[in-house]
Amino acid sequence: MVKTELTEKSPLRSLEKAVQGGLGKGNIAVIASKEGVGKTACLVHIATDKLMRNKHVIHVSYANRVDHIVNWYEDIFTEISKKRNLENAMSVHDDIIQNRVIMNFNQKSISVDQVIASIKAMMDNGQLGTDAVIIDGFDFTIGSAEDIKKFKAFAVESDIELWFSDSYPEGADYLDDRGIPVNLIKDLDDLSVVLTLRAEQGLMVLKLVKDHKALVSEDLHLKLDPKTLLIAEA
Amino acid sequence: MSVDITKMRNIGISAHIDSGKTTLTERILFYCQKIHAIHEVRGKDGVGATMDSMELEKERGITIASAATNVTWKEHAINIIDTPGHVDFTIEVERALRVLDGAVLVLCSVGGVQSQSITVDRQLKRYGVPRIAFVNKSDRTGANPYKVCDQLREKLDLNSVMMQVPIGLEEKLEGVIDLIRMKAIYFDGNDGEQIRIEEIPAELQAEADERREMMLDTVSMFSEEIMELMMEEQEIPEDLLHETVRKAVISLELVPVYLGSAYKNKGVQEMMDAVLRYLPAPPDVENKALDLDNNEEEVVLPSDETKPPVALAFKLEDGQYGQLTYIRVYQGIIKKGAELINVRNGRKFKVGRLVRMHSNNMEDITEAPAGDIVALFGIDCASGDTFCDSNLNLSMTSMFVPNAVISLSIKPVDKSASDKMAKALNRFTKEDPTFRTHVDPESNETIISGMGELHLEVYIERMKREYKAEVETGAPQVAYREAISASADFNYTHKKQTGGSGQYGRVAGSMEPLPLDDEKGYEFVNMIKGGAIPTEYIPSCDKGFQTGMEKGSLIGAPVVGVKMTINDGQFHAVDSSDQAFQTAALGAFREAYKKANPCILEPIMKVTVEGPTEFQGNIFGTLNQRRGMIIASNEEGNYCSVEAEVPLSEMFGYSTVLRSSTQGKAEFTMEFAKYGKVPSSVTEELIKKYEEERKAQQK
Repeated sequence: MVKTELTEKSPLRSLEKAVQGGLGKGNIAVIASKEGVGKTACLVHIATDKLMRNKHVIHVSYANRVDHIVNWYEDIFTEISKKRNLENAMSVHDDIIQNRVIMNFNQKSISVDQVIASIKAMMDNGQLGTDAVIIDGFDFTIGSAEDIKKFKAFAVESDIELWFSDSYPEGADYLDDRGIPVNLIKDLDDLSVVLTLRAEQGLMVLKLVKDHKALVSEDLHLKLDPKTLLIAEA
Repeated sequence: MSVDITKMRNIGISAHIDSGKTTLTERILFYCQKIHAIHEVRGKDGVGATMDSMELEKERGITIASAATNVTWKEHAINIIDTPGHVDFTIEVERALRVLDGAVLVLCSVGGVQSQSITVDRQLKRYGVPRIAFVNKSDRTGANPYKVCDQLREKLDLNSVMMQVPIGLEEKLEGVIDLIRMKAIYFDGNDGEQIRIEEIPAELQAEADERREMMLDTVSMFSEEIMELMMEEQEIPEDLLHETVRKAVISLELVPVYLGSAYKNKGVQEMMDAVLRYLPAPPDVENKALDLDNNEEEVVLPSDETKPPVALAFKLEDGQYGQLTYIRVYQGIIKKGAELINVRNGRKFKVGRLVRMHSNNMEDITEAPAGDIVALFGIDCASGDTFCDSNLNLSMTSMFVPNAVISLSIKPVDKSASDKMAKALNRFTKEDPTFRTHVDPESNETIISGMGELHLEVYIERMKREYKAEVETGAPQVAYREAISASADFNYTHKKQTGGSGQYGRVAGSMEPLPLDDEKGYEFVNMIKGGAIPTEYIPSCDKGFQTGMEKGSLIGAPVVGVKMTINDGQFHAVDSSDQAFQTAALGAFREAYKKANPCILEPIMKVTVEGPTEFQGNIFGTLNQRRGMIIASNEEGNYCSVEAEVPLSEMFGYSTVLRSSTQGKAEFTMEFAKYGKVPSSVTEELIKKYEEERKAQQK
């Protein structure tokens, strides 16, 4: 299978269909779940899918060692290329990693202004033509509604997609009665897409909670394969 | 004189450049009463620190050669190998690490774990060297030993634990609190040589208690006994703690952290005590050699004095009395007058003078037992050679030697300089396997090659200073390679049968790319059946192909990663010869090479830039302009470090550009990462340049 064919058949296309053609630039999406369910894997899969379509991605993380993140990408790439029999896997790999930059912030307390300034510096000088920014490990309990507005303004101004993860401790009841992750209630207006990831009969199921304008509660026919941690059709 | 090897330590002092390593070594020598006055590295008194024996090092304030020195501390013999801190000299560092049993990782209390500390630590890990850490410069503004301890954990993945608490920090640093004894320690006298032990100051009691608790928590993971005592809230004996920490350090599971300021004479003696307590003695470490008689099977060398001797030459130095060879004895006893064999060339030699070194002074000895580090006089050998009893055929593991990535031409200014230059080159290539030299057959110029700009610069300087050889240097050249990216078949006939003795040979087969990381770089496969090419001419084909490998047709760079298979051919009973088949094979190689999608490879460096966050954009920019691929950036407080892969050819003059675009506040390190394909636009440029040069030469 060649690269373009592979991305056309990606299960992520059905995720895009479910949210009216994709997240779209200038918008923010959040994947919320309990710890250790597979948010990072989801985000890395989404990022890798973009890279495969020749897009540029910046991956932002907090206090994760850079080599750990690189390993995530390596693992996800290997799984995808193995599963779909990608041709010239090595050279595709070498091409796409040129379009990926990892930015790591070593302290949780760093201000949103500083983070945005650094990403902008990278977009202006290092990674020109960035299409999407992945922000893994941002703490929504510390981040104020103001902070999220800044991110939203940044997404609009720079014409990029922003993908966040939102994490909850094991055992916590993190959804309100509408099924919305509690940390995100205050930010709902600025978030275009909200997804949750939960374990159900040994499978990790993706559920759509907010779809652009409307609040919904729809199980997507997408799950995380527990072995490869790839998003797959259920 | 007999030496108790359990009371011996072979240690290295590894550090980032400028974290004060040489000053620390100087203080250790002072406290061990090897020297009688303290000199600074960039001393005003013009003497300079004792360990920097080479003039050049004194001038640049850096340590290049890893001189070994022997000191005595509390009835223990310590051999200190001073290791260079700059990445350009990593082969020196690695060779020194090989003979160490333990190391002190010196870190700057302000700068913390910097990119070079990471490189150095990776080398220590590769050779499995147990270590303790010393957070130096705790008297500087912004000093924070706790932060450094956390960085050891986060950035280096080390199980680090503070063993001390500072009494005052920055300019108020007075001493340290030992968390095992729970006492305050002060360093009095002009040079901090008088140790005064007091009760812990009341205002620090709470902090000391808390830190001791943390230390005990970490250490108790290695001892059930300690854990039980803690549960029962009983006193934990000091000896038990020492013993537990020692075991964990030797098994590479724990890194105790000490602090102080060598410059202000604080904390050095306590760190020395920790060296004795926690770092291994030679018998605690397992060393392995390769048995050359048994297919390079690994053999363990017990530090047993009754076995036949085995030693490794790890460092050469040119002294007033000829070549001085530093050796580490791994097994048996090396005695004065004994006969040994150099395993590399099978030459026998007799041990003449045997000395114990203290930087530039030496002490004659009659024997050196397993575990010791001493020096021999007048032995003709290269660095990295193994010396054995003549009945043994063991070699210490061959060390990994990276390929040279940069070269430049040198030309002596006159006849006398020419002889001196030859002498110097001969010496340097023996000392340092990553430094190479050859004469280019076309331009007749002498070419030196090595691991980086600074690496070559230092040798050119040494040539001038130590050998008085004045040379002119050409512009540095990147060591390009050529490779193929597809397979191709060939069928080539070499025919010259016009009068006289003729030449005839035909070879056919295929050319295939090997993976780029394949170590051999060339493979020859003979699939000829039925004698289409007679057996005697098969090696001629191999040779012809190898001639083709020497120079690719794109830019004349060496070709790597090719597998040549021959499966058919033809010969002539009279006109075929060795020469004819070599020429035919070379022709076949060139024919196939054109079809096999040849490309140019260039050395790609891993570059790490560190600087204040405000200049982050400028740093990204400078890397991006240099065809750099930014892999990651790490931000911490106001500091960021950016990791990128950049072609070496683009890195010339980078330090100037970086300095001017960051007001001199950023610094960078680089090391060779891999060979990578040159993009097509640059390829065209290189080919054009090569053709112009060739035309110019033909004129």
